Amino acid sequence: MNLDWLDAFLVFGLFEVVMVIGLALLLHLQLGLARIANFGVVGFWGLGMYAFGVSYVRVDWPFGEPWQFLVCALIATGVAALAGLLVGWYVADLDTDGVLVGTLGFATAVAILATTQQELTGGALGMGGLGFPYDIGTVKANEFLWLVITTLLVAAILFFVWRVHRSPYGRLLIAVGANEPLARSLGKSTFRAKIGLFVVTSAAMGLLGAMFGVMVRFLDVLNLGVDITLAAIVGLVLGGTARVWGAVIGVVLTVGLFDIVVQVYLPLPREWHTQAIPVLREALFGLALIVVLLFRPLGVLGKMRRDRLMKKVHGR
Amino acid sequence: MAADAAAGSAVARPQIRVEGVAKSYSGRTVVDVDELVLGDSPIEGLIGPNGAGKTTLMRMIVHAVPLDRGRITLQSPAEPDLLLSAMPTDRIARHGVVKSNQLITDFDRLTILDSLLFAVTEAEREKPYRIFSERAVFARHREEIERLLDYFGLVDATAFAKSAGEKKLLDIIRCLILKPRFLLLDEPTAGLPDDITEKVMHTLRELAAAGTTVVIVAHDLNVIWNLCDEVVFMAEGKALLRGDPQSIREHRTIVEKYLGEGHV
Repeated sequence: MNLDWLDAFLVFGLFEVVMVIGLALLLHLQLGLARIANFGVVGFWGLGMYAFGVSYVRVDWPFGEPWQFLVCALIATGVAALAGLLVGWYVADLDTDGVLVGTLGFATAVAILATTQQELTGGALGMGGLGFPYDIGTVKANEFLWLVITTLLVAAILFFVWRVHRSPYGRLLIAVGANEPLARSLGKSTFRAKIGLFVVTSAAMGLLGAMFGVMVRFLDVLNLGVDITLAAIVGLVLGGTARVWGAVIGVVLTVGLFDIVVQVYLPLPREWHTQAIPVLREALFGLALIVVLLFRPLGVLGKMRRDRLMKKVHGR
Repeated sequence: MAADAAAGSAVARPQIRVEGVAKSYSGRTVVDVDELVLGDSPIEGLIGPNGAGKTTLMRMIVHAVPLDRGRITLQSPAEPDLLLSAMPTDRIARHGVVKSNQLITDFDRLTILDSLLFAVTEAEREKPYRIFSERAVFARHREEIERLLDYFGLVDATAFAKSAGEKKLLDIIRCLILKPRFLLLDEPTAGLPDDITEKVMHTLRELAAAGTTVVIVAHDLNVIWNLCDEVVFMAEGKALLRGDPQSIREHRTIVEKYLGEGHV
């Protein structure tokens, strides 16, 4: 495959956009529907990434690719799901402030564990040894195919979220977010609903972490900072937390605009890429969040339109 | 479940037994009931002055307010007793004890149709992997939802409940569609127009005739006198008197302390 026309930065930039869209879609189910303010997205994502990395690199599997990848990705998904179960259990009955602190604390704990458990994770030195579950020639070709596979995975997440809006499960999540005591009085176990939501979304976040691990092939604890959570939240809030396409549009307008247009196409000095740009990125995302909350708090797409959706689905 | 079950009971219709129940806020006792059985008659009323503890007692029955002490039990024909005071609210509702709300409350982002579908959807169809079950749920409950909406005059099902009256009515319809065994209604007709109030009362009579026990808290005493078979008078957190509507409205103490001379 001739991919000379393709910039390596562009492939990685697109991968990041696609991955953050996936995370923002999952966050949409939590924050947009069930109104659970999960500030620990990076914790579930990072746990998946490191669970994948550790099981891939440290375990001597008796089989090769692609089975090694599939088994390790399954482990990453399972570990993240288990973390979702425990964190969900812990925060299910807390108010918004409690959820915020609890999930943020979880993400911090994951970062500390990844840094201190050097024998397993490589600590601050990082961990190499990861690879693609295939080899189709050049590194660029492998990366491009991985981008396509990840895009298909995120498209599946998008389809799931889109269907959730049109299903009794989506209605349950909206009801939990809108009026939990009323939902309970109608016989709904809101506690179980929240835990279930955490398990499903955390598992998918963990899988996206594993996909990222394969793409970068080197796990670095610096990835466990606030960047990923901030990117997903800012993208979702800017696009509209209550709408399916809010996550997609918001992330394209933030991460897409910055990581692709600014970093790939603007002729910036090379040293800026390592020093100034990461800081500038966080500052601009923070600013975007403030501006959106001030002038369009419901995001670009605005409020949820259940009346239109119900008409469309049930033809009344 | 074993902890929920007590001795079996031989009651004719669902009853709720309240024993030694108390609730205080900041040292002030708002409910202090030694013994009270709700459901001796098909439709019972709970009346009393503001602050008598009626709403708090109703909320304690569905465990929306935790008890300081005491126990509340559901007794049903040919079934073991259920200790409601040891159950979470959602499980109490799943056992058929359902309560409407005194204050206007709604799911702000759900339409009227959404709200009713939500109430009737079985838990099995609300799993994350059942994302294609919406049409089946609608088909299963469509007739019943449309019958109730038509009867109560909520024409546009895919709209949101806008006025306080609509929200109040929707709250009652949500309770009705659950087909409760024991229905607790807190000020059900407050804010409703007369014709809808009549329809609500008619529906409650039908429900009671079909075996549901209904308990109503209302300040609109016309509803109490016209609808209830028995009335319990509460004051200062205690259930003081019980009797048929006629004897209660003529009771000397109740007239002096609550109804006032010249009441209807």
